[in-house]
Amino acid sequence: MKRFHTLLAALAIAAAVNAQIGQPYIHDPSTIAECDGKYYTFGTGGGGLISDDGWSWHSGADRPGGGAAPDVMKLGDRYLCIYGATGGGLGGGHNGRILTMWNNTLDPKSPDFRWTTAVEVCSSDGMEDQDAIDPCLLLDPTTGRLWATYGTYFGTIRIIELDPATGYRVKGNVEKDIAIDCEATDLIFRDGWYYLLGTHGTCCDGVNSTYNIVVGRSRSVEGPYLDNVGRDMFHGGGRMVIAAGDRLYGPGHFGRTVIDEGVEIMSCHYEADLDQGGRSVLGLRPLLWRNGWPEAGDRFHGGTFAIESERRGYSLELIVDFVRQQQERRGWWGANTDEPVKALPNQQLSEVVDTWPEGDIPVRCGDYMMRPHQRWTVTPVSEKGGYLGGPWFRITIEGTDRALTATSDLELTTVPTFTGDDAQLWRIEQLVDGTFRLLPKTIPGRPDLNNADGLNVRYCLYSAADSTPTLAAYDFSSDNSKWRFRNH
Amino acid sequence: MGITKKCVSLHVVFSKYQPMKRYLFPFLLLLLALTAAAQNPVIHDQFTADPTARVFGDRVYLYPSHDIFPPEGARQDWFCMADYHVFSSDNLTDWTDHGVIVTQNAVPWVRTDSYAMWAPDCVCRDGKYYFYFPAAPKDGRGFAVGVATADRPEGPFMCEPLPIAGISGIDPCVLIDNDGQAYIYWSGMGIRGARLKANMKELADPLQEIAMPRREGMPEMPPMKVGGEEMKGLPDGFKEGPFVFRRGDWYYLTFPWVRGETGEGKNPTETLAYAMSRSPLGPWDFKGIIMAEHANHCWTNHHSIVEFRGQWYLFYHHNDFSLRDDKRRSARIERITFSPDGTIGEVVPTMRGVGINRAASRIDVDRYSQASTGVVTAFVDSLQPFRSWHATLPTKGSWLRYADVDFTDVTDGYLVVCAKAADNTEFYVREKTAKGKVIAKIKMTVKSEVTRPGSPTPFRRDQSGQWLTLTSTIDYTPKGITDLVITNEGGAAVSIDWLQFKNRPKYFTPVGSAAAPAQPDPQGFIRRWSLMEPIAVDVRSNIVFTNSWLREQFDEKLASLPKSKAKWYNLDSENYNVKLFRFAEKYGRQTYGSFFWCETVIDCPEEIPDVRLAAGSNGASLWWLDGEEVLLLEGDRRMVEDDGVSRRLTLKKGRNVLRSAVINGPGLSDMCARFIDEQGNPITDFTILNSK
Repeated sequence: MKRFHTLLAALAIAAAVNAQIGQPYIHDPSTIAECDGKYYTFGTGGGGLISDDGWSWHSGADRPGGGAAPDVMKLGDRYLCIYGATGGGLGGGHNGRILTMWNNTLDPKSPDFRWTTAVEVCSSDGMEDQDAIDPCLLLDPTTGRLWATYGTYFGTIRIIELDPATGYRVKGNVEKDIAIDCEATDLIFRDGWYYLLGTHGTCCDGVNSTYNIVVGRSRSVEGPYLDNVGRDMFHGGGRMVIAAGDRLYGPGHFGRTVIDEGVEIMSCHYEADLDQGGRSVLGLRPLLWRNGWPEAGDRFHGGTFAIESERRGYSLELIVDFVRQQQERRGWWGANTDEPVKALPNQQLSEVVDTWPEGDIPVRCGDYMMRPHQRWTVTPVSEKGGYLGGPWFRITIEGTDRALTATSDLELTTVPTFTGDDAQLWRIEQLVDGTFRLLPKTIPGRPDLNNADGLNVRYCLYSAADSTPTLAAYDFSSDNSKWRFRNH
Repeated sequence: MGITKKCVSLHVVFSKYQPMKRYLFPFLLLLLALTAAAQNPVIHDQFTADPTARVFGDRVYLYPSHDIFPPEGARQDWFCMADYHVFSSDNLTDWTDHGVIVTQNAVPWVRTDSYAMWAPDCVCRDGKYYFYFPAAPKDGRGFAVGVATADRPEGPFMCEPLPIAGISGIDPCVLIDNDGQAYIYWSGMGIRGARLKANMKELADPLQEIAMPRREGMPEMPPMKVGGEEMKGLPDGFKEGPFVFRRGDWYYLTFPWVRGETGEGKNPTETLAYAMSRSPLGPWDFKGIIMAEHANHCWTNHHSIVEFRGQWYLFYHHNDFSLRDDKRRSARIERITFSPDGTIGEVVPTMRGVGINRAASRIDVDRYSQASTGVVTAFVDSLQPFRSWHATLPTKGSWLRYADVDFTDVTDGYLVVCAKAADNTEFYVREKTAKGKVIAKIKMTVKSEVTRPGSPTPFRRDQSGQWLTLTSTIDYTPKGITDLVITNEGGAAVSIDWLQFKNRPKYFTPVGSAAAPAQPDPQGFIRRWSLMEPIAVDVRSNIVFTNSWLREQFDEKLASLPKSKAKWYNLDSENYNVKLFRFAEKYGRQTYGSFFWCETVIDCPEEIPDVRLAAGSNGASLWWLDGEEVLLLEGDRRMVEDDGVSRRLTLKKGRNVLRSAVINGPGLSDMCARFIDEQGNPITDFTILNSK
């Protein structure tokens, strides 16, 4: 019986922490694009996924032309789509063509939705060591120039330049080989470096697919792209960004989305999600930057933690009386070293909960003492949907239903019972440095502080002082905005 | 009223003018770099009417007028030309667009919104280039002819402030006779001719005052000062566009001419006709036509005739890219011939034109020289005519012939062809005739008959009716200049857009037995190998390369090696990575699912201790040094530099035999190997010998 319960609990967790919920079945997802408040990603074979909230995805996006691994980018007020038609070996050859086309919107229900006639920007003829599929786009923020990389294991990865005004190939541009040994590449720019992310390994073999994503970087967009030991990606180099793990096999086809300063996510597909029957699904992960290298952060599943401020290292806690933990004291001088050592239990909730007030209890930050009023259970609230990259979470005192909530005066408190109210739902995002930010879904009773959709995207859990948490505007440059989840 | 984006989109469907103007031109600028136009029309990215060709130095310069689609507010069904481009070529195949040389907005005397920059001419005298062009003057009626001068044929041209006094008309043409006297001819009140002063900018003889005929309902016009004289001896009927040239002692006055009867319900169009004379201003002896009326009723024709490298050419125009509107025309070229009596043989317009195509460039074979009955051409995209044509061979046995393709540059070639078909079919590329020697056979499988089990659904697609760029090895490479014939050999129609012969990149150089020893490359990679022709292995995925399976394979192959009669090849790799797939393709039959034996001999002047063999391979590989196994790269491997290394080894003084076996499933098999020291630096102080 006990075993049965454990199994149920395991299933419940599994259901709550899917890579993405809904029907996120896709291969080679394009970088997440936003259009009129919805999120879009396009995959191999045509079509793609749409999400209203960034967490629950369903099919319905529309991309004609078939072929493999598109990318979509907003340029000005239009969307440019680049995709490969034919090629890829599986359709009977390596003669591929890369095409671009525009749309004024990504919403297939919009009257403005109409793809322009696709234009070929490059091709491979089937005999050369090149396979013109799997393209991606980078608009270089330093120069305004538009670049595309493409290619597969069949030969080289190439870079070409496109005209950002037309989507056509820049006249006279000569393609350059920059990598081998990968496919479904993506090109990004950050902090003076260009990064080429390639998908290594084997795809399309379900739970036996070995896909993984590696990276090299260069000061010049046309390379050479070197890995962390100085090996050129043109010689097969690359540093791991994400591999299998967490019941997910075969991450491939990287895409980077910057949500806010210091808040980045990467999109990919997993060749097989064990929790979703081994299907190929969309994956969104925090994107971390360590010493100038991108790495996938772990999926945040929730759990029970101390919520520790990056400012001082104090932990979020209820403002309740400190209850001393009982211990038989002996002076060190009187210690009987022959007496067997006995482990002491942690202070239990039951020992202290009766001393707590019954109504709302405000919060502060204090030295972490492993006490019940400092232990928070963070749980996804699956039925409430989510935001780009994660589900809404509730944050309750371990073993209770007492929930952290935002108040209309931009402060915090806890309510005795979690009701599912938006002010009790939290958006938890890992920042590029590995810390987290926490935003309540709404500031209650303050429509002026929420965005057009009624969501709070500005005010986060913030250290107003070492001991005083509040809600204040998120600022990546300040440790006051940052928190750590530690289970210790 | 502003046009919204949506209106423009609708125009794509309903208007033949608007979308062209907005979408067509930027698109075609891109294409220019991709298409070599050795056929008719000559220029593929813009309209080029009234082509005047001149030879300056070793190049042909083409000065056409530049038809465009009329802007809003301008008359939509009339000629519209705002500027001139000049093009040049040294082979009549590849044309360079030198851009705009004169525009209506930059000529002092030209009305800026007149869009009437009609047929020009350009001649060279004493190192200076004189460009003559008709246009609508700001003051006055009709047309005047202006001059612009430059030091180079492509400009920059400086315009004279006023047009030439005494010329009221269009289509200037200038002849500089052998004695240095220059003549100018134009069309206006018949075809007129006059002597030019040595400055090339003024008429030499006094002007005459001519009373203007009174037109009903119009105010009386003052008399006009007109230069030159009307050319005598020409036939009745509408004439314009005089082009005069001298060949031997004959002067030729050639001109568009309407010979048909006019009147109610009749709309005869222009021929190209000519007259001959022993003197530059006539009188002329009319000889007949050079080219008959265009078959499709394109009303105008306008031309020039030039000798280039011993061959005479007729430049003329046709509305190829604008079939429903004969005011947008494109330049064409044909060869012309003269009889011993000086008369000109009648010229039949062709799609093929005159240029010789290099086989290694894209060839639009749809502009064929000749075809069997039923072969038709059509625009690839009727809304974007500058994307050019394709030709359809409807049934088995249909063929087309495309003349003059030069194979000189094709050494190790393969064929690339852009084609589409509604159903599975096959076509051949042959030499010279429909029964000629087969150069390549192309099978088009647009509908998969058998889908491979387990293949992902997105790739199982119906490709019928889609343009596909197909490649094929070639069975035979013609020599020199020859004709290509495409024959339909299959059960369904096939449409061809273009084809091209490309040379394979060089992957290997054969090494003779007497070759000097090789060096490792600067990164230490060993590029000289003896490779055995590949053996088939039944593998479809690299993932199945488990250690135990690999051991079985390697042991079995190793055991059978001494008995094997397989051929070995001594090769130098052009790349640091030895492209085994390309080796297999060239020297064997088994490309995918193959097993390769590789062997080389490392010759060390001294013993080198503490080195590691560093290798990468696609897919798995096993490596031996002097018979001892030193490295296994197993599992799902790709060719990564220094993917795995051996334990520390000693390369002994003298010969060390390095052997590897590579197994590959799908993919482009290759491998790389070098020796590195304790710090990872390459070892390069040895030589590499042939092992076989």
